[in-house]
Order: sequence, then structure tokens, then C-alpha cells
Amino acid sequence: MEPIGHEGLGRLLDLGENLSTPHIVFSHNDLTEATDLESGGSIKIGKSFDLPPKPLGLDSDKEPYLHLSENIAVLDNTSSLRPQKIVEIASKFREEAGYSRLVYAPAVEPSDMPILAYLGVDVFDDLNVELRSSTGWLLEDGSWIKSSSKVDIFSANREELNRWVSKIRNSISNGTLREFVERTSLHNPRVSQILHHSTQLLVEKGAKNHYLIRANNLSLKHPSVIDFQERLSRFTPPVDNMVLLVLPCSARKPYFKSSSHKRFFNTIREVDNYLSLHIISVTSPLGLVPRELEFCYPAAHYDIAVTGVWSPTEVEMLRTQLSRIEPEKHYCKAIVHAGSSSEIMTTLLKERGLETIDTKVERPSSFEGLEVLQNVARMSLNGSEPVNSKQRAQGEAIGLANFQYPNSDFLTTSEISGRMPYKLRCGDLAAISPVVGGFGLTLSGGKAYSSNGGGVVKAENFKLVGDLFAVGVNGHKGDWQIGDQVVIEQKDEITAVGIAKMNPEEMVSMKRGIAVEVRHHA
Amino acid sequence: MPEAFVPLTDFVNEAKSIPKEHSLDQPVAKWTEEELLDGEIVEAGVAILRTRGCYWSIKEGCSMCGYFNDTVPGGVSDEMLREQWKKIRPSLKGKRYAKIYTSGSFIDPTEVPLDFADEVMSDMKDMGIEKVLIESLPEFVNPKNFNYTNAPKLEIAIGLESSSSLVLDKCVNKRLRWPHFVKVCKSARDNGAEVKAYILLKPPYLNEKDAIEDAVQSAIDAAPHVDKISINPVNVQKNTVVEKLWMRNEWTAPWLWSVVEVLERCKDLPVRVYSDPTGGGTRRGAHNCYNCNKKILEGLKKHRLGKGDLADLICDCKSRWEVMKRQSSLRRNGSEPHGYRNGFTSGRRF
Repeated sequence: MEPIGHEGLGRLLDLGENLSTPHIVFSHNDLTEATDLESGGSIKIGKSFDLPPKPLGLDSDKEPYLHLSENIAVLDNTSSLRPQKIVEIASKFREEAGYSRLVYAPAVEPSDMPILAYLGVDVFDDLNVELRSSTGWLLEDGSWIKSSSKVDIFSANREELNRWVSKIRNSISNGTLREFVERTSLHNPRVSQILHHSTQLLVEKGAKNHYLIRANNLSLKHPSVIDFQERLSRFTPPVDNMVLLVLPCSARKPYFKSSSHKRFFNTIREVDNYLSLHIISVTSPLGLVPRELEFCYPAAHYDIAVTGVWSPTEVEMLRTQLSRIEPEKHYCKAIVHAGSSSEIMTTLLKERGLETIDTKVERPSSFEGLEVLQNVARMSLNGSEPVNSKQRAQGEAIGLANFQYPNSDFLTTSEISGRMPYKLRCGDLAAISPVVGGFGLTLSGGKAYSSNGGGVVKAENFKLVGDLFAVGVNGHKGDWQIGDQVVIEQKDEITAVGIAKMNPEEMVSMKRGIAVEVRHHA
Repeated sequence: MPEAFVPLTDFVNEAKSIPKEHSLDQPVAKWTEEELLDGEIVEAGVAILRTRGCYWSIKEGCSMCGYFNDTVPGGVSDEMLREQWKKIRPSLKGKRYAKIYTSGSFIDPTEVPLDFADEVMSDMKDMGIEKVLIESLPEFVNPKNFNYTNAPKLEIAIGLESSSSLVLDKCVNKRLRWPHFVKVCKSARDNGAEVKAYILLKPPYLNEKDAIEDAVQSAIDAAPHVDKISINPVNVQKNTVVEKLWMRNEWTAPWLWSVVEVLERCKDLPVRVYSDPTGGGTRRGAHNCYNCNKKILEGLKKHRLGKGDLADLICDCKSRWEVMKRQSSLRRNGSEPHGYRNGFTSGRRF
């Protein structure tokens, strides 16, 4: 079994023999009934595996939630468990089942399969679909239509179910499983509730892949969005008492590469002491994105319909994000030059007691708009404390490092050089990397990181060339999520640093697949 | 004896701890129903005495039994029992058959005092009642507990539930062992009583097919030791483990078709096997689809009174039951999706 991709807690595993997870078993071929009341029969996934005994006399509300045989972990009663309970159990899947067992959820509805796969279920069956077939209902794209045609409903539904599950697999491999789940949740209260309750679990344990988020209203609960928003409270502006400049976001990401932001920059750089201006872009679903964080996932990886209208939920989200930045403590005043978002931002900033000037320009990047911006910036910066580029770089590095790492002192006490966006460095420890999405650690940085609580992958003693595969991993120290930077240690020596492609325990239990995508070798 | 299973008992214990307000001088219920007595259909008088209830229910209880809801935890005084009897008597006048139930064991002397029981039996005998049905756990089926001075013919109904110890331990939570059941049946019959066995159809956790097989096997096993067998499809009684599982949709009440199949498969047994499903035709009891519930229940009644054949019963939902029965052995519990029995036509999604 080889992990090929992850999204959320779901995994795309290559099981060999052209089989992969999430996998569907068909009751007439793949499930064998038990010979007695208690045992569980068997399941065929390539080979035949014993199922654990039936949960006779057990309370589904109490741990352990999964019933285990050697290769299979069964989540009984999946279709009837309360949404919150399912999420609670999903948070314990790997604790109870480990990574080498496949998690099987018997008798679930096709519409529940995407969310369950997203939470880590590997195997489904067609038991409920068969019941629908026997009552003349045809499965189409996850929902049921009453069939009047004379097709063989049983085989048509089996084919459609196969397609449905292969869509789930494709989604994991394309990084669009979240979208698939969101779609199935739209008119399905149960899926919607499970999705709602799983947000925090996905933030804490889900894979952090840098896939494009094609945002909608549901994206306000996207784990990467929530993670970004929560981390914002660790961010600090480069220098205190700067003037905050609120700009609109742009379609092109990172924003600083867009023509509008280039024009904004060219306009303000002509103003004396422009280094005292700190740019934060206002956007949905992320809320506020300071310039330093524009590389950080998902600030450069989302797209959303621009309507110019802020919903009450989005306004509340902006208010929360402002409370995380606490602008009134860090800035002396604010300029809002954000077009259709100006009014709401001005109100929210004033709500926090910060002196705020709204340029009231409808088209911020138009020639007239830029002229107004330049004048207002000049006026606002007049008499403000000058900031030099070294001070500014230092502050930018601290802001970014704090956002990325919980204990960032190991980076920020080094000598900071360069400037945003591409050249900023923390001594020989880290440099800006669009791939990592912020500071990418060098080998020395990795060493420092490992002694400051960073995740360490312990590998067998061999000459590491290229990526580290799971077969070479024999242990781990610390915790991480897929997508985090980790350090590889061989014989007590740090020999490489890279990006984790598996969860800590998963690396140890798997015998195949890339464990760490190595960025720097010794 | 095996350890009783603990799950879900918190829920049940909580329900048991809530004080109940029952009038002690009134029986729980009384009614009349048609019954077969020596091959003849007669009107039987039925009454349920309100007592302390089943000792086992106070300790742990069986997963499907909610009769403790009708009991008085501190017990009912002899005086109040006599008051209850006064109210029951008139409804028994002129009857040849009586069924005197308690929410426990009539012949448990700590539940129904022997003196009172003796009085009641003698009273019934004097009223011309020919046969009395009482119920008891097997542990009280000892001649010293029913050695009445003057009593009608006694029929003791014992809840065997299943002849499988696995089902008794893990699904029912009843501390009964097959050899003990055989022993008490013999003892009762040797002492002039008839024995009726109750067999459960689809105890919690069992799927439809396993449930049918277990009930049929239990009936086959019990037949040589008893005089008649009543197949009791499990119904959802208040504040029980079954109710909890049912509410969670981890178990669904059996199909009436399953009842029919069990009875058909038992028709060649040397004793009468019949069923009068409690709560039949409702979601809490054995049921089929909306269209045939009444028809099947009527058929079961006729069969019970020896007036009809079950083979004639038909409905479209039978094919759904067949799919379910075939598939159920692959399902890991006794549940099925909401609305399946009606072909998912009620608009309710599952």
C-alpha cells in the first residue's frame, strides 16, 4: 500500500493490482457473510481479508469506535452516527486503526461518501445502493431519480457508484476533494453538518497541500483559510507607529505581482518615507493579507467571484481579523484605498478607534485614484517617524517568521538581510521560498528548527540522495501536518530538510511512498 | 454466569431512577381477547397487576424489556394488591381462560406474596375459570412457588427468548442457560402445569436473517420441552436499550414477513407456534409497508386462532424484504435505511 496523495484526512492509496482508495466493494462479489452470529465474514479488496466480529452488545457512543481485524478497521453505524460524533471518531481513526489498516464504513449512502473519504474512510460498499436499486431508484451523480426505463437498475447503479467513487479518488489526486464535498453538502443537511463540525479537526490534522481554492461562501470554513486567519494573531507589522494602507486584493496572486498593485507601489514609492506605509490587502475569504504574507498558503492560491458586496458573515470575519491584528495598537493612522471595500473597512477601523482616512475613490488603480492615494499618503506620512530599510526588513522577517513558526526566535535572532518579496533572508537559516510559502529553511535552519521543537524524521543510515521514502523512515520526533517543513536526522546528524508528504506515524508504518520531499541535503 | 453487558445501561438506569406516580389500587390494565382453549375459540380475560416488578429488571434488566415503567420500585402492599384484584374480578366473570400478568414473575414470592397468589387462584377456580396463564422467569419455576391449594389448570409462560447463549448474553442480557430452561420446563410439567415459551424475533444487534434463523432454531430446540410457543417480534418499549438503538437507527423492528417466515418454518413442529406481535404495524413494532400491515396482522390473528393459512399472504413489499433478508447477513447490525419498506416513496431521504 502506497500513499499517493492526501487531502484533508483522506488518502489516495495505491493498493496494487490496479486498486486504490477510496475503494468500493460490491456486496455480491466482495463481501462474504459470516458463518456464525458473532464473526464478521470477509471482504475482498484484491485479496480476501477477515472483517472484525460484529459489534454485538456494544455501545456505538463509547470508545473504541473502530472494530479491528488484522487489516481492516470498521466504523460501524456510520450512516446513523450523529455528525459531531462522526467528526470526533474521525479524529481518532489513526490512533485506533493505525495507518496500515483500511478504514471501512459499511452501508453508507453515496452522498455521504465524499465527506467520509475526506475524513479518512478508505473503503465503502454498495449495500444501501442495492436497496435503492431494488425499489427502482437510479443513482445519478450521487442522488436518486425514480427510473421508468427498462434498464437493469442493479448493474446501472453499480456502474454509477463505481464512477462516483472514482470521482472521489480523482478529486484527491487533483486537490479538489474539498470542492466535491462542498458540492455534495449543498442540499444535504447531514453532510453539511459533518463538514461544519470537521473544520477544526481539518485545521489541526488535515494535509496542507497548496492547491488552488476556488472560493465561495463555504470557503469561509475552509481549513486553510481558518488556519491562515487564526495565525494572523501571531503576525506583527514591521515597525510600530506606521501608517496602515488598506488596498483591495487582485485577481493575480501574489498581489504584489498584479498590475494594480505594481501601480500602487510605484505611486507610493514617490512619497517621502514611504517605508512607513504598511500594506494590507482586504479580501474574501481570507480577510486581511499583509504584504509579508502574500506567499503564505492560501494567500497566493485562491480565486473568488468579485461582487463588491460584503455579506454580514464576511463583515464579521473582517472584524475578527482586525481584532487579531489590533491595528489601533500598532499603527498611528490608516488610509483606506480599497474601492468597493473602502466603506466597510473604514467603518471597522474607526470602530477600533484608529484614525482612518478613506480616499473614497471608486476605481483605486485608475490614474485619478492613484493621484488621490499619493496625495493622501504624502499628507499622512508628513511628520511621521522615518523608517529605514534595514529596520523595515527586520520587522518584515519577524512578522513572517512569527506567522509561520510558533517559536520563531531561532530565525529572527539571526542577521536579517535583503528585502521583501524575494530577497529577504534570515542569516544562513532561511530564505523566502514561494514553494514553501514563506521562509524555507536551509540545512542550518533545519538544525536550528530541530532544536526548537520542529518535527524530526529519523531515517535509516544510508546516503540520502533525492527524496526520502517511507521505507527508510524508522522513527519521528515531534508532530507535523502534511505540507509542513521537517528535518531529516540520520545517526544523530541532521542530513536534510524538506516538506513532509506523510503524517508522522504514517511514515513509520508505510513501506512505500515519498515521506519527505527533500529541499536541501547535507 | 457471564458478565452482563454494560453498554447503554446508563440511559436505562436514568429512566429507572425517575420516580413514577402510579395509583397502587389500580391494575396496570385489563382487557379481553380471543384465545384458543382446547381447540375452541374463547374470550379470555387478561389483567396486569401492578407490582414491584421483575427482580432482574431492578438489577440490570433485559435489553428489550420496558415493563419496569409500570412497576412500583418499593413494592405494593398486600392490601393494595387485594384492591387491584377486586377491580379485576368482574372482568373475569364467565370466562374460561384468564391471563394474569405482572410486570415481572407471578410466582416470584418476593413480588407477589404466596398467600395473595393462593387467594387469587382459589377465587378464579371458584369463578369457574378453567385455565390460568401466568408468566415467570425460569428461576422461580419451582413447585413450591405454585403449589396452590385450589387453582385452575396452570400455564406458565417462560421467556426463553433464544436458545443461543450468545444471543442471551450479548443481545438480550438475560441470565438464562439452555440446560436450566429444559430443567424447569420438566419440573413445571411434572407438577401439572403447562409451559408456554416466548421466543424473541430480532433481538437488538441481530440482522433480519440471523434473527429469523435464531428464532426458528430456538423454536425447534424448545418444542420438545414446552406445550406452545409464542414468537414475540421485538418491539420498542420506552426507556430500553432497544429504544436507544432504535432511536439511533442502529436497529430496526423486524418485518412482519419475517414473523410469517418463522411461523411457516415452524408449522411442522409438534407444538403450536404462533405470534401476536405487540405494536405490530407501527414503527415501534414488527411492520411491513403501509399497504399490507393490517392485512398481515389479520392473517397472523387468524393463524393464531387456527382459522387461516399464512401462505396466502402477498404484497409488493415482500420482494424488498427478500432483498433485505439476503443482504442483511452482510450488514453488521440490525438496521435498515428509513423508508425502505415503503420503497422510499414517502419523500423522506435517508
